Amino acid sequence: MNRLLNPLLKKINRTNKASISMRLRLFFFLMILVLTMAGGIIIILLVTGTFTAGITESRRLIKNELQHASNNISMQYGQLSLQAVSFSNDISQRINDKLKEQNLTFSQLSQHPKQLEQLLSDLFENTYYSLQKCKGSGAFVILDTTVNPSLVNANQSKVGLYLKNMEPNVISASNPTFTLLRGFSSIGRNNSINLHTQWSMEFDISNADYYIQPILAAKNNISLPLSKLYYWSIPQIIPGTSEDVMLCSVPILDSNHNIYGVCGFEVSAMLFKLLHMPDNSTYSRMFCMFSPYQNSRVEINHSLFAGGYSMRDFSKKDVTLIVKEHHTSFDDYNIKDSVYLGYHKPIQLYPDGSSFSEDIWITAILLPKEDIVNSITLINVVLACLLCMLVVMGIIISVIFSNKYLKPISQGIRAIKLGSEEDLPKTNVQEIDDLIYYLSDYKKELNRKIEQDKYQITKLENFINNTKTLTPAERSVFNHLINGLSAKEIADTMFLSINTIKTHNKRIFVKLEIASREELLLYISMLKEIGLELI
Amino acid sequence: MKKIFIVCVVIVILVPIITLTFTLIKMKEKEPITLTLWHNYGGQMKNTMDEMIEEFNGTIGKKEGVIINVTSISGSSTLHDKLTMAAKNDPGAPTLPDITTAYPKTALVLANKNLLVNLDEQFKEDELAKYIPRFIEEGRLNTDKLYVFPTAKSTEVLFVNTTIFDRFSKATGVKLEDLSTFEGIQNAASLYYDWTDRQTPDIANDGKTFYVPDSQFNLSLIGCEQLGTHLIKNNKIDYSSPDTKKVWEQLFLPAVKGNYAIFDGYASDLAKTGDIVCSTGSTAGVLFFSPKVTYPDNTSEEAKLTLLPYPTFEGGKKIAIQRGAGMCVIKSNKKKEKLAGIFLKWFTSPENNLRFVSSTGYLPVTEEAFGDIMLKQIDSISDENIKNLLFVSREMQINYDFLTAPLFDNVDVLQSNYEKQLRLTATESRKTYRNLLNTIGKEDALDQATRGIYDKFARESE
Repeated sequence: MNRLLNPLLKKINRTNKASISMRLRLFFFLMILVLTMAGGIIIILLVTGTFTAGITESRRLIKNELQHASNNISMQYGQLSLQAVSFSNDISQRINDKLKEQNLTFSQLSQHPKQLEQLLSDLFENTYYSLQKCKGSGAFVILDTTVNPSLVNANQSKVGLYLKNMEPNVISASNPTFTLLRGFSSIGRNNSINLHTQWSMEFDISNADYYIQPILAAKNNISLPLSKLYYWSIPQIIPGTSEDVMLCSVPILDSNHNIYGVCGFEVSAMLFKLLHMPDNSTYSRMFCMFSPYQNSRVEINHSLFAGGYSMRDFSKKDVTLIVKEHHTSFDDYNIKDSVYLGYHKPIQLYPDGSSFSEDIWITAILLPKEDIVNSITLINVVLACLLCMLVVMGIIISVIFSNKYLKPISQGIRAIKLGSEEDLPKTNVQEIDDLIYYLSDYKKELNRKIEQDKYQITKLENFINNTKTLTPAERSVFNHLINGLSAKEIADTMFLSINTIKTHNKRIFVKLEIASREELLLYISMLKEIGLELI
Repeated sequence: MKKIFIVCVVIVILVPIITLTFTLIKMKEKEPITLTLWHNYGGQMKNTMDEMIEEFNGTIGKKEGVIINVTSISGSSTLHDKLTMAAKNDPGAPTLPDITTAYPKTALVLANKNLLVNLDEQFKEDELAKYIPRFIEEGRLNTDKLYVFPTAKSTEVLFVNTTIFDRFSKATGVKLEDLSTFEGIQNAASLYYDWTDRQTPDIANDGKTFYVPDSQFNLSLIGCEQLGTHLIKNNKIDYSSPDTKKVWEQLFLPAVKGNYAIFDGYASDLAKTGDIVCSTGSTAGVLFFSPKVTYPDNTSEEAKLTLLPYPTFEGGKKIAIQRGAGMCVIKSNKKKEKLAGIFLKWFTSPENNLRFVSSTGYLPVTEEAFGDIMLKQIDSISDENIKNLLFVSREMQINYDFLTAPLFDNVDVLQSNYEKQLRLTATESRKTYRNLLNTIGKEDALDQATRGIYDKFARESE
């Protein structure tokens, strides 16, 4: 019996060893799907620039802020320049009128301190209202004369008027916050204006570019109108004060181009900071810088800053920022061991043809490099983690799904193996259900066939055993029979009568429990099929 | 096997989540929060404040993720106006900052609008114990909550320009010690007026003013206390008190005679132009006194400043005012409030407090800084005026009692009205007095110019 089933079992085992389980196969299939999806997502993210979106977004943000800041600065400084020119015209007119009234020439004023004080008292009103109207933090008039020419350094001391608005960004008509920084104390007291804590009577113009430059320009360019003679000083702390200011000064000229002095407006570092602070909701350390620019260098101490952070280190002087421009990414701004990223844009402070049109000023929006790097790293770490989580979730789902999906199949096969055909599981997948039922039917058929084969094998075994009961004579006849000879041919071969052969045949048939010669041949054929021969 | 699989799955899920969380936290920590600050440490004090804030931003601020951004530097009265405007949401008012310096009267307005953080939440008991108790008490604004944190305090002292005083002293025999009482100052002022008047014999009655108090209200308040009464009763000025009148007259009569200046501003303004010789004012004003006096012809001379303890009324107790703005934190969110607390702790640590004090003229706020540290470091202070000031302040800490200004709703209005009315009345009476001098003698002129004025003043300033 075993001898008969072994070949079949061997065949099945061989098949099992060579194949991968369906569950694993399904898992691998799903994994390929997951990885393909993840790969696809990565490709889409790469193609759409999502990984570099942080940089792109930051660049866009900084460029927008730069545009906004440069527009505002341009407008503020442009307006102040125009107002300073108008202020100069008014002051010039007032001085002319007053000199006529006093019957004095401008050069005689230094010999008439009372008249000089009166003149400046007269200019107070213009200065006060001009300051109120403008977007500046101070207004000044410096006349090319002094109260006391006999003093030491009198040539560096100039009389004038300097009003400072301590709160230029607060609208408070009821309580003006003007103080007198320079000028006769009597002017302040007569007009209920307190002296600034750093008040001095006169201006010290030694190294005062805001005084020297416009006057030189006026002297050297007689034909130029005032609108081309105004000058913006570099941000600086005026001697005797403590705040950085930038001054727009315009020469005060009479109709004969005689120079009375300069006048103009101030933009304090605080006002600049309050007016031009960039939106730091995304980058809290983003700041705006306004500076003179020369050979890709910016002097930090000659710059104004707006924002929650400034690169200025008060303990260090004369620090230079080196600018490296890049067309494809942020510009670099290097200062010793610190790097800032951002963009800058030139601001046109002067009209074409101005004496100072060669001065280059820039507005820059900057932030520490680490802030941008951190921000981009953050976005990419988030993306990478999300992708990782997606793949992990894919693996888990694949495992669960392949298990869940193949469970009924495994159970079905197990049931089929165990023979419990009645409780076949349903996967609700038509093909798999068909396969399970097919396998079940196949097994039934196989069993039936095996039963049938078992019966036949029993019969064959009986047949073989029965052949052993044949007498030698019957065996000879039997051998001829299985060789396909007819009774007559056997009689001729054995030299026996036909009747003797027929008698042998009858006995053989009885002993072998068969009914005919055809049945005998069938048995012989069956034995041959399974490779057995009767010896 | 199944357990191992589950553990692996959990690990595989947790690793990216934990990585992500840590990265986010780390990034968040690195992203600093900006706190806006308004303060009144302008002028010569600005550099010290700038340097300290820059240092904080570069050290503790960097570590804790906070940037202090100064968005306003104003005088204390302007700051008061700005803060009250902002608190009331007046048109054109700026947005309130995260931290601001404020006097108690300003803080009271903000506290009444529930805008201030109770700083008890930011400081442990033992931390608060390091500060001088009466400074902490003042910051509680008569409540159980700490609204104004003492950062730098001050008292009032007498500032004397001894360059001018020495000349005057030589001519008249008046000594610095004579200025220890208000009566002595009054007498010296009268002599000074006459002395300066005599210097221009061709112009009559053009003597110069000698003294001005920075705050007439503070002088009246402390004067009454020195005399044993209170200027304010039931949240009103007690004009019926003879001591109130005495103190008022001590201010008013010399002003009418031209001995005291009538001025709406800081005494240091007048000192710059030599229009006064001495003044009482906050120790914090020491830096505002110019080292030179400039005259109308632009000539100038060195102005040596001497500081003396706050004068007293004859027979009165040694009492001086305790003043100085502290810092308030405006309500925002817990994170910002905590960071503001960190800044206040840093700013008032004995080392930093003394550093600030030694370059500004304020007084330290911690027991430690006020004690041995100050004594040890006082000699290293380069500014002679500040050095003198700290010596005088320390002497006053030992010999004087200190009084904080009363605090109640509209105390600022009451103070402002009192001073405004005093200046107005004194100006009018001075004008009358000067006119009367053309016809009658000084005593009669003064009597006529000031008769019934106190009652008028009391009525109109209420």
